[in-house]
Amino acid sequence: MVFLVMQPVIRVTDLWKYYSDDEQGEPALRGTNLEVAAGDIVALFGKSGSGKTTLLNLLAGLDRPTRGRIEIEGQDLEALGERGRTRFRRNRLGFVFQFFNLLPTLTAFENVFLSLELAGRHPDHAAARTALASVGLTGKEDRYPHELSGGEQQRVAIARALVKKPSITLADEPTGNLDTHTGTHILDLLVDQCRQTQTTLIMVSHAMITCQYAKRILQMEDGVVMEDRSCEASGP
Amino acid sequence: MNSKKQKDNPEEPLRRTPNALRRTDFSIITIYDIRYTIYEKVLSRILVLLILTVFVCTASASGADWRQAIGERAWSFPRDHGSHPEYRTEWWYFTGNLSDKSGNRYGYQLTFFRHGIEKMPKDPGNPWSIRDIYLAHFTVTDAAGKRFWYSERTSRMGPGLAFSDTKGLNVWLLNWSARMIQNVIYLSARQKNLEINLELVPQKPPVLHGQKGLSKKGPGEGQSSYYYSFTDLRTTGTIRTPLSKQPIHVKGISWFDQEFGSNQLSTDQAGWDWFSLHLSDGRDLMLYFLRRKDGTMEQASSGTIVEKNGTSRHLRLSDISVDILGKWKSPKSNGTYPARWRIRVPSARIDLTISPYVPDQELITEESSGITYWEGAIGGSGISMERNVTCEGYVELTGYAGSIGGIF
Amino acid sequence: MKIVTKAFLRYLLKRRSLSILQLLGIACGVAAVIGMGLSAQSALSSFSKAVEFLRGISTHLIERPAGPIDEGVLAKLVQDNSVDFFAPVIDRRVRLADSEAIRVLGIDPFLDRNIRPEISRAYFAERHQDTKEDPFSFFTDERSVLIDSNLAAQLKLQPGSRLETSQGAFNVTGTFPNPSGEPLIIMDILNAQKIFDLKGSVDRIDLIVNDEAVFRSRWEHGFRIESKRQRQESLTALLYAFKLNLQALSLLALFVGTFLIYNTAMFAVVSRRRDAGVLRSLGAQRYEIVAAFLAEIFLFGILGGALGAVFGHILSRFLTEIVGSTISTLYFFLKPSPQPWSLLTLAAGIAFGCIASLLGAVSPLIELILIEPVKAIRGRVAYRGGTRKAGKIALIGIAILCAAAVFLAFSFYHVYVGYAGTFIFLLGVSLFTGFTVMSLAPALRWLFSRVGGIQGKLAVANIRKNMGRTAVAIAAFMVALSMSIGLGSMIESFRHSLIWWMNGQLKGELYVSTKGDTEVPEDFYQELKGMPGIGGVDTYRNVQITYRGTPVYITAINASILQRFTQFGWVSGGNENWEPVKQGSVIVSESFSRRFNVKKGDTVTVGGIEGAVQFPVTAIFYDYTTEHGLIMMDRSTYIRHFKDRTINSLGVFVDPKYPDREKLIAEVKKRARGRNLPVATKGELHNTILSVFDNTFAVTRSMRVLAIIVAFFGIAGALMTLFVERRREFGIYRALGFSVRQIAGMTLFEGIGMGLVSFLMSTGVGTALALILIKVINLRSFNWTIFYHFTFDPYLIAAITAIAASVGASIYPIWKVYRTYPQIQIREE
Repeated sequence: MVFLVMQPVIRVTDLWKYYSDDEQGEPALRGTNLEVAAGDIVALFGKSGSGKTTLLNLLAGLDRPTRGRIEIEGQDLEALGERGRTRFRRNRLGFVFQFFNLLPTLTAFENVFLSLELAGRHPDHAAARTALASVGLTGKEDRYPHELSGGEQQRVAIARALVKKPSITLADEPTGNLDTHTGTHILDLLVDQCRQTQTTLIMVSHAMITCQYAKRILQMEDGVVMEDRSCEASGP
Repeated sequence: MNSKKQKDNPEEPLRRTPNALRRTDFSIITIYDIRYTIYEKVLSRILVLLILTVFVCTASASGADWRQAIGERAWSFPRDHGSHPEYRTEWWYFTGNLSDKSGNRYGYQLTFFRHGIEKMPKDPGNPWSIRDIYLAHFTVTDAAGKRFWYSERTSRMGPGLAFSDTKGLNVWLLNWSARMIQNVIYLSARQKNLEINLELVPQKPPVLHGQKGLSKKGPGEGQSSYYYSFTDLRTTGTIRTPLSKQPIHVKGISWFDQEFGSNQLSTDQAGWDWFSLHLSDGRDLMLYFLRRKDGTMEQASSGTIVEKNGTSRHLRLSDISVDILGKWKSPKSNGTYPARWRIRVPSARIDLTISPYVPDQELITEESSGITYWEGAIGGSGISMERNVTCEGYVELTGYAGSIGGIF
Repeated sequence: MKIVTKAFLRYLLKRRSLSILQLLGIACGVAAVIGMGLSAQSALSSFSKAVEFLRGISTHLIERPAGPIDEGVLAKLVQDNSVDFFAPVIDRRVRLADSEAIRVLGIDPFLDRNIRPEISRAYFAERHQDTKEDPFSFFTDERSVLIDSNLAAQLKLQPGSRLETSQGAFNVTGTFPNPSGEPLIIMDILNAQKIFDLKGSVDRIDLIVNDEAVFRSRWEHGFRIESKRQRQESLTALLYAFKLNLQALSLLALFVGTFLIYNTAMFAVVSRRRDAGVLRSLGAQRYEIVAAFLAEIFLFGILGGALGAVFGHILSRFLTEIVGSTISTLYFFLKPSPQPWSLLTLAAGIAFGCIASLLGAVSPLIELILIEPVKAIRGRVAYRGGTRKAGKIALIGIAILCAAAVFLAFSFYHVYVGYAGTFIFLLGVSLFTGFTVMSLAPALRWLFSRVGGIQGKLAVANIRKNMGRTAVAIAAFMVALSMSIGLGSMIESFRHSLIWWMNGQLKGELYVSTKGDTEVPEDFYQELKGMPGIGGVDTYRNVQITYRGTPVYITAINASILQRFTQFGWVSGGNENWEPVKQGSVIVSESFSRRFNVKKGDTVTVGGIEGAVQFPVTAIFYDYTTEHGLIMMDRSTYIRHFKDRTINSLGVFVDPKYPDREKLIAEVKKRARGRNLPVATKGELHNTILSVFDNTFAVTRSMRVLAIIVAFFGIAGALMTLFVERRREFGIYRALGFSVRQIAGMTLFEGIGMGLVSFLMSTGVGTALALILIKVINLRSFNWTIFYHFTFDPYLIAAITAIAASVGASIYPIWKVYRTYPQIQIREE
C-alpha cells in the first residue's frame, strides 16, 4: 500500500490586497495564508468587509493580489497571465454568486450551455440538460431567469458552475438571497453535486446552516483567514 | 416599268394604266413639279409645317397675295437666275459629278429653297420677322472612299443669315452659297469638315421647259410654274471631306435647275425615280418615273434629251425602257432601293447601264421629318448614236423606305 | 451564433422600446446627414444639368463685356470659318404671378437646332402630330411661348393655355422636355426682342468653334469669349459659398449624429457591463465579449443606418425644396428634382451608421475591454472618480479648445479649416459637461429640492451619480442647443447688419423696377428727373462680369445723387469718397476687397468694349448684396467703357424742401405704372430684401430643427437608459415609501435637470459659436463683415426647446414607471 501525499489543490501564501493603487488605506487582505485539499468542502465565515469576497475573487483570478502568491493545482495564478487565468476559469473553476448572475437574456438551458461553450468542449446539449436535470429543473430549460424563482435561478447557477466538471467551485453566499427553506435545498444540492463530481467547494457564507455541510470551517477576520472556529460562535 | 415583259412589250404599261392614255402633253415641268412635291416631304419638318400652314390656314386668306404663274414669261437672264419673291416657292438646285487628278470620282448636291410665308412680314423693320424660310441640302459622295455625307439647313433671312438676290443668281444660307458673276456660277458650302468651292460655267444655254418656261400643272389658272435648267455646266474647284482633310482639286460637270411658282400640288404618289445623265458625247438625258401607290406607273413619267448643241426634245414614257439589274437594302432604314439600271431610249438611240458610285447615298433626315430618300452620284457606260460612251449623273429615289414619317 | 453574442443581442428584443428609441436616434443622425447631403447633391447636380441643358452642345459663347451684343455680329460669324455653328440667344427672366423669376430664352429655332437640338426637335415633333392648330404660331404670334414640361405640369398648363407674367400674358404653344431643374420658357427671338425691347441686339451667341485660337484672335477685341469649361467654372464659382454652407450643415448634422450614436453605444456598454463581468468570471475571453458587443453595435449601425437612409431620402425631398427655393432667391431660379432612391443611398446610410457607431463605440469599447470583472460583477456601476475624473476630462477639453483656437486662427488658409476649428471647439466644450454638472450640482440641488422636494433632490443626485451617461446626453443636447443659439444669433446679427446697410444705402423714396429683369426706358429716367420737386434720380445698372476668372458684378450708379442722398457704410472715410468716383474711379464692396485682396488705392482691370480698362479703387464699402464682389462706378464711366445704356432700376429721391411730398410720390407711382413698371416704396423694398434674407436662411433653420430632433432622441435615450438601469432602485424607493407619482416626478426632474444644464452651458457656448460663425465662417465664406448684435430670441427659443425636449423625453420613461409599477421590485431580474 502506498500512501500518497495529498497535494493541496489551493495554496495561498502571504496574500495582500489593497484596493487603492498607492497601497494606502486599509488592505482588504493582510498577508493571509490558506491551503485547501482536493475534494474538501470548506465554509468561509466572516463579517461584512472582512475580505471574504476579495479572497474569493483572487482565487478565481478575477482580481489580482497586491502581494503574495496563489497556487491552484500547483500552478501560480499570477504566472498564468490573463489568458491562462481565463482558461483556468473556463475549464477548472465553477462560480456561484449570491445574486445568481444569470444572463437575463438567456434561457436556463442557454445559461448552462454557455458554460460548456466557453469551456470549448464539443457543444454537448445532453450534458447541459443532464446538469439541469440533476438540479431538478427538468422541464424548465427554456425559461428565462426572470421566469424562475430565486431558488430555481440559483439551481441554474449551480448547474452552470458544475456542468463543466470544475476542480474547484467557489460559492459567494449562495443562499444569501434565498429564504431558509430554499437555502437548505440549495446547499444540499450544491454539496451533493460537489461530492459527486469530487469538486473542491469553498463557500462564503453568513448562514449557520452552512456548518452542517462543511468538512472544514474557516473564519475570516480583518483580512486574515483563521482556522477552526466553531459554528456556534460565528452566529450573527 | 422594269420587267422583262415591259421591255418586250412597251405598250403594256399603258394597258395597265389606262389613265395614262389621256395624258398626252405632260412636260418636264410636270415632272419637276412632282419632284418638287416629293422634295417638300423630304425637307425638314418645319418646312412641311410651314407649307401646311400656308396651304391650310392662310391659303384662302393670303394665297391671293402671291403672284401666280400665269402666261408666258418674258425671260431675262441673268436677272431671272435671281430670286422672284413675288412667287411663293422657288429653288436653285445643283448636282454634279467630279473627279480629281488621280481619277477618283466625287459627287455633290447643293440645293437652296426659298419658301414664302407671309408676303408682307408683320414687322418689316426687324430682320427676324419672317417673310421667307430658306432651306438647303448639301451632300458629297466620295466614290473611292466609299463614303457619303449629307447635311441640311433651315433659316429665316434674319440679320444676314440667308438671302436670295432679285438681280441675279446670289443665294445663300449661312455659309452655303451660289453666286453668279459674269457667266460663272460660284458654289461654296462648308459643314464642319465637308466643304466645296466650285466654279460652274454653262456650256449650253438654259433649257426652258413647257411653254417657253411656263409649266402647266392642272386645269386651273395659275396651276403652273416657271422653270428652266442648265444641263451642262463645266465645273472646276476644290472639295474637302472628312477623309481628305485637305482640299482636293476637282473638275467635272454639273446640272442646275431653277423653278418658281405659287401653286399647290397633289401629293398622292408612292414615290418616284429621277435620273439626270451627262453622256460623254455631249448629250444630256433626263428621265423621270412616278410610281403610284397602287403600284402602277404614272403616265407623267417621261424624259428630255438635250443634244450637244443645246437643242432639246421631250421623251414620252413609251420612248423609255428601264430595267432594274440590282437592288440595295439600307441597313439603316431597311428600305430596298434599285441599285443598277439598264436604260434604253430607242428613239434617241441610247442604251446605257448605270450604277451608283457608292451604294449608300441615302439621306435620313432625322432632324426633320424622318423621311428617308436616296439621292446619289452614279456612273456607267453604253451606246449613244451607235458609239460607245460613258456617262455620269445623279439619281433620286424616293418612297422606298416606307412611310416612316410618324417615327417621332 | 455564439451564445455570448446571443446574450447581448437578445437585449435588443427584450428592451424593445429602448432599442427602438436608440435605433431612431441613430436613424435620425444618419437621416440628417443623408438628407442634407442628398439635397445638396440634388441642387448642385440639377444646377449643372441646367447649365448643361442651356449650354447645349456649344463649345463657346461670345458676348459684350456688359450689356447686349448687336446682331450684326451674326453676319460676320457666318463668314468665320473657325465657327461651325452659332445660335443667338436672348437670355432674360420674367416673373410669374407668384413672383418666381423664370428664365426666358429668345432663340431662333432654326439656328438653335445645332446647339440645343432637344428643344426645337421635341417641339416640332409634337407640333407635327397635331397639325390642326396653327403650327406657325410660334413665330407669328407675338405672345407665343414654349414651356418646359416640368413647369407645364407644375402650373397645370397645356398648349393653348395662357401664362401670366410680369411681361404680360404668354400663349403656351407647346412644351419640351427639360432634364434640368431650371424651369424654362422659350420664345422666338423676334418676339423676345420686342418684349424685352432689344431691337437689333441679342444677349449672347452660343457657338461651336472648331479652332479656338483662331476664333479668339479674331474676336478678342471688345468681346468676351467664354469656353464651356470657363462657363462651368464661373457658374460653379457662383454657387461656391452656397455649396460650402450646405456642406457645413451636413457636417453639423454628422457631428450631432455621431454624438447620439456615441450615446447609444455608451448605453450598450453600460447595460452589458455586468453581463460582461459574469461572462469573464465564467471564463469568456475579452475578444469574445468585444465581438459580441461589436455585433450589437453593427446591428444598430446597419439597421439604424438603413432606416436613416430611408428617412434621409424622405427628408431630402423636403430639404431639396428649401435648398431650391434658397438658390432661386439668391442666384437663379432652380427647381431641383430630388435624387431618386438608390441602393447607393442605402449603402451610404449603412456605412455612415456603422462608421459613426464604431466611432461612437470606441471609447465605451475600450472601457469594456479594460473592465475588471470584479467591478463589473458587482452589478450596477456608479460613476466612479467623480469630480476628479470630470476635472481631468475638462483639462483635456481645455487642450482641445486650444487646438480649436489654432484652427480658427488659421482659417484664413481655407474656410474648411474654420469649419474644422468650429467642430473641434464644440468637441472641446462638450468635454466640460461633466465638470459643469459637478459644479452646478449643488445649485441645482438647492433649486430642485425647493421646487420638487425629495424627488428633485434625488434627481440631481442621480444625474450626478450616473454622469457616465448623463454627461454624454447633456453634451449632445448642449451642442444642439448651442447650434440653435449660434445660428440664431448669427442670423439675427446678420439681419441687423443688413438693416443698417439698407438704412444707409437704400434711402430713396421710391424705387422703380426692382423686380424681375424689367428695364427702365431711358426717357422715363429723363422724364422723372425733370419733374419739379424731385431731388435726384439714381440710375442703377447691375451686370455680371468676369474678374480674374470668377463672376463679379459691376454696378453703375449716379455718384453725385448717392453722395447727396445716401450714407453708405464705408470701411473708412465718408461721403467724400464719392468725389473721385465722379471722375471715373470706382469703389468696391468689402466682399470684393477681401476676395481679391484689393485695397483702397489699388486698381482693378476689367475688360471693356474697347479692351481692358484700369479703374483706381477709391474706397471700400460694406455690402451684403453679393458675396461675389461688386465694383461700383458712375453711370458716365460705365457708359464710356461698356457702351451700355441699360437701366435696371431707378431710385427716386425727393427734394427735402419740396412741400407736397406725398402728392409727388403718388405722381411718380402713377407714371411708372402707366409704363407698366413696378414701383416699390423704400419700406416695401426693405421688406422685400428682408424676406429674401429670411428665405435664404430657410435651410439653416431647418437644420436647427433637425439638430434639436436629433438631440431630443439623445436626451430621451439617456433618460431611458437611466430608467432601465435603475429599475431595481425604483423598487427600493417604493420600499422606502415613495409613491409612483414621486418616482415619475423624479424622472421628470432628471430630464429637466439635464435639459437645464444643457441650456445653461449652451448660452455660453452658443454665443461663442455665434461669434465664430460671424467672425470666422461668414467672413471666410462670404467675405463680409457682420456686426455682432445681441438679441434675446435665440436664447429664449433654446430655453423653450430645452425644457420642452427634456419634458418630452421624460414622458416615455414616466409612462413606463406607471405601467411597470406593480412589477417594480427590489429583486434582481
